[in-house]
Amino acid sequence: MSTEEALVTLGETTADAALGVLASLCPEGVEKGNVGVVQPGASPLQSLAYPAIATDVAYTDGVSGGNVFTMTRLGVRRLAAAMMGAELPSEDSDTELDEMETSALGEAMNQMMAAGAAALTKALGYPVDISVPTTRVLQSESDAEGAYPQSPHATRVSFTVLGESCRLIQLVPNAFVVRMGRALDNEITEQDDRGGEHNADPGLSSKLRRTHVRVAAELGRAQVRLKRLAAPLPGEVIELNRTAHDPIDLCVNGQRFATGELLLIDPNDWAVRIDHVLDVNPADYLTPIGGT
Amino acid sequence: MARILVVDDAAFMRKVLSDALTTGGHEIVGEAANGNEAVTRFQQFHPDLTTLDITMPEADGLHALREILASDPAAKVIMCSALGAEDKVLEAIRLGAKDFIVKPFQAERVLDAVSKVLA
Repeated sequence: MSTEEALVTLGETTADAALGVLASLCPEGVEKGNVGVVQPGASPLQSLAYPAIATDVAYTDGVSGGNVFTMTRLGVRRLAAAMMGAELPSEDSDTELDEMETSALGEAMNQMMAAGAAALTKALGYPVDISVPTTRVLQSESDAEGAYPQSPHATRVSFTVLGESCRLIQLVPNAFVVRMGRALDNEITEQDDRGGEHNADPGLSSKLRRTHVRVAAELGRAQVRLKRLAAPLPGEVIELNRTAHDPIDLCVNGQRFATGELLLIDPNDWAVRIDHVLDVNPADYLTPIGGT
Repeated sequence: MARILVVDDAAFMRKVLSDALTTGGHEIVGEAANGNEAVTRFQQFHPDLTTLDITMPEADGLHALREILASDPAAKVIMCSALGAEDKVLEAIRLGAKDFIVKPFQAERVLDAVSKVLA
């Protein structure tokens, strides 16, 4: 399962949950666009209409990332009016948003993201919790830059709420990508087990595709004299042949098949993001090195 | 008619809840915007019933619930929270909350819950 597929599924899961809440707050006034993956280095807040009212909710329990929802000022006024059962303003006024309008947006975001967290908890099989919302006014592109912490991955999706454009940005922690990839892989395996087909690798029979193999991540190697290992001392340090920034190897049955970057997620679990896949026939993984 | 304390960090949600409860004939004796303030207001007003949000700054609703029930084990508290906090809702019920309402809600749902808890 590719990172992009995992990200799109994560984005869709959160966006659909947010859509459900928005539709209940302002029935028949909400449309959702397609989820897009923000390319590395690009800003998810690029080309907003300013001033933009941005509300963010962070993930808690040691997971970095969160969600940012941006609206026009008129959009906030209309959303607040709909939530209070008042008449929708036809145009914006020059006055700042009042406390009740800002609070209504915060509450809408709280409910959207709580629903999103519930959907992610179910999809990832892992409890996702959120912080209280914070709302700020972004006056310009430079305001938007640096307003939120850098995230390894991000998705964005456009909404139209009561005639005004909005954007939902998900700043995605690595942990979610890894877990979503795993959940989607499990889903494919279950489809296979039910007799379904997928085109992951036409070179493997469906029986082989269901075979479980043990993947090892190799940080590095060292060559030492045997006598040093005959009586190793606790606290002794053995240097490896790799630096902290070198890619690590991924192996099955001793067969190196890819290189990747070691990641710390969750915040205490190790994972590997695959950078480069070697040209190896997957069937070779089943023959141990030195075997016949 | 009951004397009610409304606790939520969103001013908007306090207003919506207060309007719904007032329309139903109840009196709002006080409001609080976080868990610590909720405990102070509870001890100040001794309300017949308290509505309590869960996710709030400084101290959350579960902290406030524990403190309120410690000072008055007979306190009637209804949790009022957005979807997605099921484990916290269950924890609140286990601690002694009488009911919970999931946001977004209709005014009738709030008044029904209040009537049942006060019955």
